[in-house]
Amino acid sequence: MKHVIIGAGAAGIAAAETIRRLRSNDEIVIISADDAVHSRCMLHNFISGERDEKGISHISDEFFVKNNIRWVSGKAVEGIDTANKLVRITGGAEPYDKLLIATGAESICLPHAQSLNAENIFGLRHLRDAKAIREYAKQAKNIIIIGAGLVGMDAAYALSQIGKKPVIIDRAEQILALNLDPYAANMYMQKFEKAGCSFVLGREINQVNENAGKVDSITLNFGQKLPCDMLVMAIGSSPSIGFLAGSDIACNGGITVDKYLATNINDIYAAGDVTGLSGIWPNAVKQGETAASNMCGQPATYDDTFAEKNTMNYFGIPSISLGKVMPGSGDTVQVRKDKDKYQKIILNGGQVVGVVLQGNIAHSGFWLQLVKNEIDISKANKSVFNLSFADFYGVKEDGEYMWVL
Amino acid sequence: MKRIMVDAQNCKGCKNCSIACMQSHRKDNPGGFHSLDLADPANESRNLILLNGNDEYKPLFCRHCAQPECVKACMSGAMEKDSKTGYVRHNAAKCASCFMCVMSCPYGVIKPDRATNSYIVKCDFCQQDGDDPCCVKACRSGAIYVKEVQQ
Ligand SMILES: Cc1cc2nc3c(=O)[nH]c(=O)nc-3n(C[C@H](O)[C@H](O)[C@H](O)COP(=O)(O)OP(=O)(O)OC[C@H]3O[C@@H](n4cnc5c(N)ncnc54)[C@H](O)[C@@H]3O)c2cc1C
Repeated sequence: MKHVIIGAGAAGIAAAETIRRLRSNDEIVIISADDAVHSRCMLHNFISGERDEKGISHISDEFFVKNNIRWVSGKAVEGIDTANKLVRITGGAEPYDKLLIATGAESICLPHAQSLNAENIFGLRHLRDAKAIREYAKQAKNIIIIGAGLVGMDAAYALSQIGKKPVIIDRAEQILALNLDPYAANMYMQKFEKAGCSFVLGREINQVNENAGKVDSITLNFGQKLPCDMLVMAIGSSPSIGFLAGSDIACNGGITVDKYLATNINDIYAAGDVTGLSGIWPNAVKQGETAASNMCGQPATYDDTFAEKNTMNYFGIPSISLGKVMPGSGDTVQVRKDKDKYQKIILNGGQVVGVVLQGNIAHSGFWLQLVKNEIDISKANKSVFNLSFADFYGVKEDGEYMWVL
Repeated sequence: MKRIMVDAQNCKGCKNCSIACMQSHRKDNPGGFHSLDLADPANESRNLILLNGNDEYKPLFCRHCAQPECVKACMSGAMEKDSKTGYVRHNAAKCASCFMCVMSCPYGVIKPDRATNSYIVKCDFCQQDGDDPCCVKACRSGAIYVKEVQQ
């Protein structure tokens, strides 16, 4: 049996490992546009110079040899011939028995700038983006980052660490609006400002102005114009499915999959950001493992779908957010804070529907279980801030823990 | 693999296990127990004993899970399940301090180090000793013991 995996990111690598564990003799080929395996989550450490190319790899040097995997690196797939079971790459084709598409996502560009072909617009998704940003930033004076979400703030952090003073623009009134409430976001914003960043929040972009093949300024609503000689787009990403144009593989924003992560075409599976099911690392890994198991004939379903979870760590302040960050109607909120610790729990009836923790996140993993499994906490008989796994404690025969509800 | 089994009913909450863990992992000159600085964040324990709402002791020790959520969540390759020993090992040098593992541990066992918030503090089975882990050797009530389990 020959397994071909397109993509060497979180999902593709996890899938390859799983196939090798289940099938010691099957042939595995990974094809990736990336020419170095790297974790997107550490790109900011590369730009800042804290880590080199090898330092942002999430696999060991021996990975491909140890697992007997053939890696076709630095090659973009151009199309899939599903009738003849071939993956088309520049100058050749790779036959497959089972195929996994794990091509991740691409940064999206503001509609105002889509038609521009300016050399100073950057996304932040791949190592090649990080390299380009690091190089171009050297001579840039007025760097603007559009989007104050996780990717935008990663870019801001990285650039501030190499002595740049980026301006971050977002239409939301706070930074990290999807991940944090205003209190926790403001804690970070102060640190970013101290590091040289400045913010333009609650404003829309009216126009991206170009001159001689370069962006030279941004016009905001109400007409204010900001000078710009380097523009980083961090407004989101969309599944990398461009190479499937005209193919019979069904897509709906991302590649359409069932709970086995199978596509509409026999023997073709998809996992990770390309499915549009999630945009975070742990979920991409689990999807990779699930698809791989099915490719090996061991039925598995992708069940741990909850994706409203995130962690952050800027300037040594860690945060975790789960579920809602702001209460909706019918929700109640409990807050506990001191100068270095913030805990906000959003409750609805006996359920925890949202959690924001900042500063001290020690031993906080149980909160994810409470939120994603909609566990009733009313029987616990203590303050919500004193909840822990002790209140749901169980031990299985083999010594693993289990939740007793 | 070997696992530290927990029998919560036997736990007296004495915290001998936690002190032993601190002593085992202290970074300063390894003197006797008496010289262990309990207040030094560098000496923090990898295990802890929780209380539930009925004031019952519930010991919290890393399970080195068969399907470790912390490993699946690790985006730097720092958290790994050793296929030979079965232990989940953390490589502090590789750790990118993203703390996805802290969020993902279903039991809330693991944590960032208190002194620097830059790597993960977790059980390593006192592998430097080869013997039973120090917490187990220190337990006087039979609440924790080592057993070979199938995975
Ligand atoms: C800056 C940044 C920071 C992030 N931080 C975090 C974080 O802290 N925590 C978290 O959980 N998540 C984070 N994420 C999200 C996380 O990185 C993704 O969810 C994860 O990488 C998705 O894995 P994937 O395998 O689906 O895709 P990717 O990791 O993007 O891998 C896609 C692979 O497909 C290849 N590929 C794409 N198109 C083709 C083609 N046509 N032909 C051949 N190969 C192709 C690429 O080269 C790459 O190897 C971050 C993302 C970014 C961009």
